[in-house]
Amino acid sequence: MSDEVDALVADRYIDALLAAADRHAVDAPSNAAVDPDVREAARILRASLVRVHPSFRFEERLAGRLADLALSQVRPALAAGGSLVELPPASASILDADPLVGAIIRGELDPTDADAVEAADRLPPTRRPLLVGGAITSAAISLVGVAYVAWRASRPSAQGRSSNRAMARAARAARARRVAAGVSTLVIAGASTAAAVTAGLGGPG
Amino acid sequence: MLDRDRSLVEAARRDPARFDALYRKYLAQVYSFALYELGDHHAAEDATERVFLRALAALPRFREQARPDDGPEASTFRVWLFRIARNTVANERRARRRRPATSLEAALGAGLAVADPADLEADAVTRDEAGEAIRALRALPDDRRRALTLRFVDEMTTAEIAGVLGRSEGAVRVLIHRALGAVARELGRERGTRVGDHDGEAPPAHDAGTRDARS
Repeated sequence: MSDEVDALVADRYIDALLAAADRHAVDAPSNAAVDPDVREAARILRASLVRVHPSFRFEERLAGRLADLALSQVRPALAAGGSLVELPPASASILDADPLVGAIIRGELDPTDADAVEAADRLPPTRRPLLVGGAITSAAISLVGVAYVAWRASRPSAQGRSSNRAMARAARAARARRVAAGVSTLVIAGASTAAAVTAGLGGPG
Repeated sequence: MLDRDRSLVEAARRDPARFDALYRKYLAQVYSFALYELGDHHAAEDATERVFLRALAALPRFREQARPDDGPEASTFRVWLFRIARNTVANERRARRRRPATSLEAALGAGLAVADPADLEADAVTRDEAGEAIRALRALPDDRRRALTLRFVDEMTTAEIAGVLGRSEGAVRVLIHRALGAVARELGRERGTRVGDHDGEAPPAHDAGTRDARS
């Protein structure tokens, strides 16, 4: 019990110490109820453990990566409206920076769960497909190409007949394979995104 | 309003590009936590990058859980973010046990003892004191070191630290109190050693000055 009371008193002292530092007060607060050695240790820690800001270059580089990830998260809604979005090529590097991001986006991993994160981190790195913006892709596939295929597969031909362009032919072939194999279409954010089409592009044949 | 970041979080949920405001607000805090935990600038940058990428990816599933007891300054987003940071850094520490790390004193470099030139109290701390404090901090067990870092570097309340570490507030207060006691003993030991060195090997300062003057 005494330990808890001492801890409570010390906690109040630290509150006062931090508040005094915020006010740029010259003198540290005194509290006779706190062990002088503990008081001195708290004072030294408060003054020594400085908060450090990373370099401006690092800050801006990470801001750019976060912007790329943010863009990939809003893209399904834009794709549903039929507009083609140019994905930044740097998006693939997000997976290199953190292989767990894909599982977090898919809702398979909670980054606040210590046990789950530790277990996931022990797994060998894989090139598992990542759900980015409504299309299944991987770091090995051009994200711009995937975006195009998803967009193209979700809208009919403007002339009412099928296009003969290479990407469209590949999409139709893969879709035919998917239908033959009985694979269901992945529907995300209102857009039919032809996951099997993408898988067909990435797979053999 | 219980969570002081509520408006920023809601904006980021509507438009993930607005996450930038939360990122800029907490960058130095997360980076500092990683730096004190890992003792290396590059490792701290890598960990910081992962923390924010994971936070943005998981933001749609963030749930505000502030309680009235947490007070008007509570930020459950900050607690949530630091839970991600704790897990990310813990994994990095496990991976780095196989590799030698540079000293935190070297990583912090010249800025070690001068937090803010306007902070007179910080100016009063000598480089020796700061070095001793860092060494004492790094000698602590993981949970005690994390609690002190969150309390003194990130200036979290006991309630917030309890949320980050997954313990009760009472347990965190005792943890911090014991950690402070350990630091106090370590600082006392360092000073005792230094005094002992002076007694046994080096002459007192005025003697050294006299000797210098003679030579």
